[in-house]
Amino acid sequence: MKFDQIIAERKNKTIYRDGDRCIKMFNKDYSKADILNEALNNARVEEIGIRIPAVLEVTMIDGQWAIAFEYIEGKTFADLMEENPADKNKYLEMMVDIQMDIHEKRCPLLTNHRDKMTHKIALTEFDHMTKYELRAHLDGMPRHNKVCHGDLHPSDIIVMPDGKYCILDWAHVTKGNASADVARTYLVFLLNNRKEEGEYYLKTFCKKADTPRQYVERWLQIVAASQSLKAKDNEGEMEYLSKIVNVVQF
Amino acid sequence: MELNLAVDSIDNLAAAMAQVRRAQEKYAEFSQEQVDKIFKAAALAANHSRITLAKMAVKETGMGVVEDKVIKNHYAAEYIYNAYKDVKTCGVVEDDTFFGIRKIAEPMGVIAAVIPTTNPTSTAIFKALLALKTRNGIIFAPHPRAKLCTAAAAKIVYDAAVKAGAPEGIFAWIETPSLDMSTEVMQNADLILATGGPGMVHAAYSSGKPAIGVGAGNVPAVFHRSIDIAMAVSSVIVSKTFDNGMICASEQSVICDAQIYDAVKQEFTKRGCYILNADECERVRKTIVVNGALNAKIVGQAAARIAEIAGVTVPKDTKILIGEVESVDFEEEFSHEKLSPVLALYKYADFGEAIEKADRLIKDGGYGHTASIYIENCNEDLTRFENAMKACRIVVNTPSSHGGIGDLYNFKLAPSLTLGCGSWGGNSTSENVGVKHLLNIKSVAERRENMLWFRTPEKIYFKKGSLQVALAELKDVYNKKKVFIVTDEFLYKNNYTKTVEKSLDSMGIKHTTFFNVLPDPTLECAVEGAKAMAAFEPDCIVAFGGGSAMDAAKIMWVLYEHPSVDFHDLAMRFMDIRKRINPFPKMGAKANFIAIPTTAGTGSEVTPFAVITDESTGIKYPLADYELLPNIAIVDIDYMMDMPRGLTAASGIDALTHSLEAYVSMLATDYTDGIALTAIKNIFKYLPIAYKDGANEQAREKMANASTLAGMAFANAFLGICHSMAHKLGAAFHLPHGVANALLINEVIKFNATDNPKKMGTFSQYKYPKATERYAEIASFVGLGGKDDDEKTQRLLEKIDELKELIGIKRSIKDYGISEEEFMAQLDDMVEQAFDDQCTGANPRYPLMEEMREIYLNVYHG
Repeated sequence: MKFDQIIAERKNKTIYRDGDRCIKMFNKDYSKADILNEALNNARVEEIGIRIPAVLEVTMIDGQWAIAFEYIEGKTFADLMEENPADKNKYLEMMVDIQMDIHEKRCPLLTNHRDKMTHKIALTEFDHMTKYELRAHLDGMPRHNKVCHGDLHPSDIIVMPDGKYCILDWAHVTKGNASADVARTYLVFLLNNRKEEGEYYLKTFCKKADTPRQYVERWLQIVAASQSLKAKDNEGEMEYLSKIVNVVQF
Repeated sequence: MELNLAVDSIDNLAAAMAQVRRAQEKYAEFSQEQVDKIFKAAALAANHSRITLAKMAVKETGMGVVEDKVIKNHYAAEYIYNAYKDVKTCGVVEDDTFFGIRKIAEPMGVIAAVIPTTNPTSTAIFKALLALKTRNGIIFAPHPRAKLCTAAAAKIVYDAAVKAGAPEGIFAWIETPSLDMSTEVMQNADLILATGGPGMVHAAYSSGKPAIGVGAGNVPAVFHRSIDIAMAVSSVIVSKTFDNGMICASEQSVICDAQIYDAVKQEFTKRGCYILNADECERVRKTIVVNGALNAKIVGQAAARIAEIAGVTVPKDTKILIGEVESVDFEEEFSHEKLSPVLALYKYADFGEAIEKADRLIKDGGYGHTASIYIENCNEDLTRFENAMKACRIVVNTPSSHGGIGDLYNFKLAPSLTLGCGSWGGNSTSENVGVKHLLNIKSVAERRENMLWFRTPEKIYFKKGSLQVALAELKDVYNKKKVFIVTDEFLYKNNYTKTVEKSLDSMGIKHTTFFNVLPDPTLECAVEGAKAMAAFEPDCIVAFGGGSAMDAAKIMWVLYEHPSVDFHDLAMRFMDIRKRINPFPKMGAKANFIAIPTTAGTGSEVTPFAVITDESTGIKYPLADYELLPNIAIVDIDYMMDMPRGLTAASGIDALTHSLEAYVSMLATDYTDGIALTAIKNIFKYLPIAYKDGANEQAREKMANASTLAGMAFANAFLGICHSMAHKLGAAFHLPHGVANALLINEVIKFNATDNPKKMGTFSQYKYPKATERYAEIASFVGLGGKDDDEKTQRLLEKIDELKELIGIKRSIKDYGISEEEFMAQLDDMVEQAFDDQCTGANPRYPLMEEMREIYLNVYHG
């Protein structure tokens, strides 16, 4: 394996290209269970009829876990939006269609979104009362079992040479409520200072899915609480998330 | 062992629950008197602490108004006590010795009480009192924001209850609430009483334990143009400002008729409410709901405080902030439940629009909860509103916060602080929750017998030559003007009806005769006759002939009186003639019915039965109802003397099977037994004579009377499977009805005569299988001898065989020229139809289809 061509570097993982393979290498302190689970989730989603990069190998390189995926040629929606600012909304609309197609899929053995959120809420640093409210709020939300990507962004959708789309990064896939999945995507737009795109995205989803905006917004507290686990070192983001989280159910 | 009432960790929870359970087991033994004493002491203690607890609740939760919470606590103690003080909740609570039904109330066990933060102390008092009155234990799962005041309320009620004699440990409460502990409590309780948001209610229903859960309300108040504006506006204000709007039944919007809209606005302003302008409205809108959820900071706050948070300046004693809005969609923040003195104001042009808006608000935010309307003297619109709302409480001209909880503005709505929202709200009850929801009620039902009856025509005239005397009544007693005679062609053409016609002529009564009746009369024939009747308009119908003429005349009578009747409905099989789904129409409004039999067998002159065949489908409609009883039967042998031998035999043996089946029927009574026995005895004796010597008047008369007696017996005691099976056998192979019965009766007697049938018939009066005993009684009455019931039954069988022999009835179905192949081809259909025949229900032994099949096969081969 060659590791000279870095595609992306994250806090705790690095992604390399190796010919027609793409290697996701995890830092040593990364949870082994999470890595194996990501490979397993990916394998499950490969079976339900969505074009995604196939897992080719899970291996250990120099004491670090790595997953080898199939390398996908093409530009992401994020690239295309950058290159053609005038078409931004068109790509956002297409992204909503793709996301709604994913929501139509079923994959019974995926982790339940509710269980994942319950676990995440327990891990947060909010006070006892806030966690109580969040749990109560989560328990009151409608229970669905749609496939939810869990972290979909324009950079996760590649337009392949044949014009078809390939969807990347299935580490966070669960089954659950589509509005929760959309709330997560919307939140990341907001956190990345892309409010305008986020608004257009949310508006488009609500229109196409005939869903009141408030149904999506009700999930913001939950997904914000979950996101707070990743924002521990980012004071500004933490404060922003806390504001969203601090609502109460009566 | 030291008691630990306040649970501070999940590890201690199991022990605490066990402790409550032990106490409850003791409490379950308490008498009503002991319980009522405890209930009173507990209510008094809660009432004494109403101010302390109200202060604690406001201080701890930072929401609401002390003075209003005092009222809630006061209400929870006093109104609940008053409503249930005299209600029986222990042991026998109802006892109806006449009908033999008793209701016994038992506690459910340990109740998990989930307490909300909006009404913590009053809800705790309410649930505690209900639990004490019903001998249940209770564990409180408070909201963390209201844990101290909930625990305080629980302890006050607990201390008073124990002092008054309740077992120690009957209550417990969670001191450090968490969802995991609430879940654990719910999973281990016997009943959950959950009040709170959808999360809590959902958790309650998914715990796997019976739950009464209540959710959010979103009450619309419709202002009809007819209202007293001052009253309506002030009512909404008192309700909406109560405890700063935290009651779930509080109004969230007013939907006002455009005609009175401005006046209503003025009235709100006059009474201290603030109508927000467009800019202020937008600010408040974005303050009350954040990210699709209610903003915690505004719940239970005063109007001025909410305005301040929104950056709007209003007078500091403003009562309600009112936003004039148009949309009832979820996107409109004002359309949500606001739990604060913030109100949406909508305008409507016509009442249909008001209903649509209210319906949408309820469905989106408070499905199943409460709807409110103000309306005067317009019942039509009120009815439209009542019918349209998917709300379990609809309060009229009433402040809904106070109206929904009951007993304040209407004194028949049960007082409660837990308001069921029905299936619409995902709840198991749609009522205001009270003691009955916390009790298991056992019904002790003692065996009782049905009321029975004996019904016959009003008059039965009999004796040779009685016809003319009897007919004189048509003029003398009934003053009839027009008589419609129904008979068959043979009787008509051979002048048998002449006597009747002459009598009528002599009295100056107009008459006409319909004689186109064939054996097994058809619907077509009946329709034709009914048409003639409709044209002639008789006030009396005379049926003259055998079973066919009488049955056809009965059907014509039905069609004449009720031309649009549906035979499918009338012929529907019933289990109990008094409980049939389609009641039979009333007869006799147009004409009376007189039956004159010319054969001795059918009994139709005294029975409530008639059979008609739909010639297009071949389906037979057996009609049965006492409405079909003739008014008068005239039994005169002058018209029977010429009966041919075959008819004498077939109809005579039919009468025998009528009386035999009526005697062993489950519905047989003292009233039918006597006449059935007399009929049987006379048939055995006189049928062979009448058969051999048709001119023997005594034999003819005894047979005529036996036939009518048998008719009365089975008109009231009904028949059995011999007739069920004969109906189908006769129809399948065109055997005369009497012959079919004669063939089957011996095998049916053998089938019934057992003390150990596979299945006994079901009828309250029928205590054990006693057909053998009954057949033996018949044999004894006839004088056949025999040492025990089995032998007597055997003698009866032999006697029947002997009679059949004497009157020329063959021994088997095969003997009537029916090939085995033909028979087998029809067998399964016959079995199924015979099983489903109306006569099957009264048979003393409930037959299995394979058993009926066996009987048919035995009778085939003989």
